[in-house]
Amino acid sequence: MNNRLRELRDRHSWSQGELADRLDVSRQTVNAIETGKYDPSLPLAFRIAKLFRMSIESIFEPGKG
Amino acid sequence: MVRNANRSYERRLIAAMAIYVVIMMMIWPLARGESNVWLKAVYALAPVPPMIYVIWLMARRIMRSDELEQRTHMIGLGVSAAVVSVVSLVSGFLAAANVLTLDVTATILLWIFPLLMFTYGGVRTYAARRYGSNGCDEDEAMPLYIRFLVLAGLFCAVGAYVYFHAHDERASSFALGMASALVAGAIYFAVRRWRKRRAAE
Repeated sequence: MNNRLRELRDRHSWSQGELADRLDVSRQTVNAIETGKYDPSLPLAFRIAKLFRMSIESIFEPGKG
Repeated sequence: MVRNANRSYERRLIAAMAIYVVIMMMIWPLARGESNVWLKAVYALAPVPPMIYVIWLMARRIMRSDELEQRTHMIGLGVSAAVVSVVSLVSGFLAAANVLTLDVTATILLWIFPLLMFTYGGVRTYAARRYGSNGCDEDEAMPLYIRFLVLAGLFCAVGAYVYFHAHDERASSFALGMASALVAGAIYFAVRRWRKRRAAE
């Protein structure tokens, strides 16, 4: 699954740690999502979408895998 | 929040392990010389409460982890359970066929928990790395090389105590051998951490 998390984080000038604190997850989890190594659960995807005030499908889109 | 939880976990874990080592050195040996069965049982089971506390700490840590961390914990626990099961089966079959002689009365059971924990720790670290953790993140509550040094210190203390008080050269050699291996591991992880940090600058 592809996502725009890094782009959105950069837009807000947040570090991975700051975003992790806002989402109540570890920095490693934010890093894993940004690098495409981990796809978040639906509740976490909703939290991300709510934080950036966007829809889930505008942040995440199905990848080739 | 996650970082504070990890720091608290590390502190409590080290305290529990230190208490465990002290009990193993000071109280558990009394069981062998005690004639009263109930008191003997109390001495023999004295190391169990700190270990139960450690298990409770681990369970609480997993419950408070985020979803990715919980996944890596589950991978670690699953693989370690599989490894311990296979080792038990293989050694059990070999012992039953008299190919291998095992002290099944006691000491072999004591190795199950350490084997489970070492495998769990190793696999969990490997799984975390697969998801991008690099082992020298600032989120690490305590660097790996420090953990290895703390463990080495504990084994050294046990080895010295066993050598000078119980005069058991075999046990003290084992403990000091473990301490040496842990120090070697600590040096390896410290050098790797230093190189990664230097590369990141």
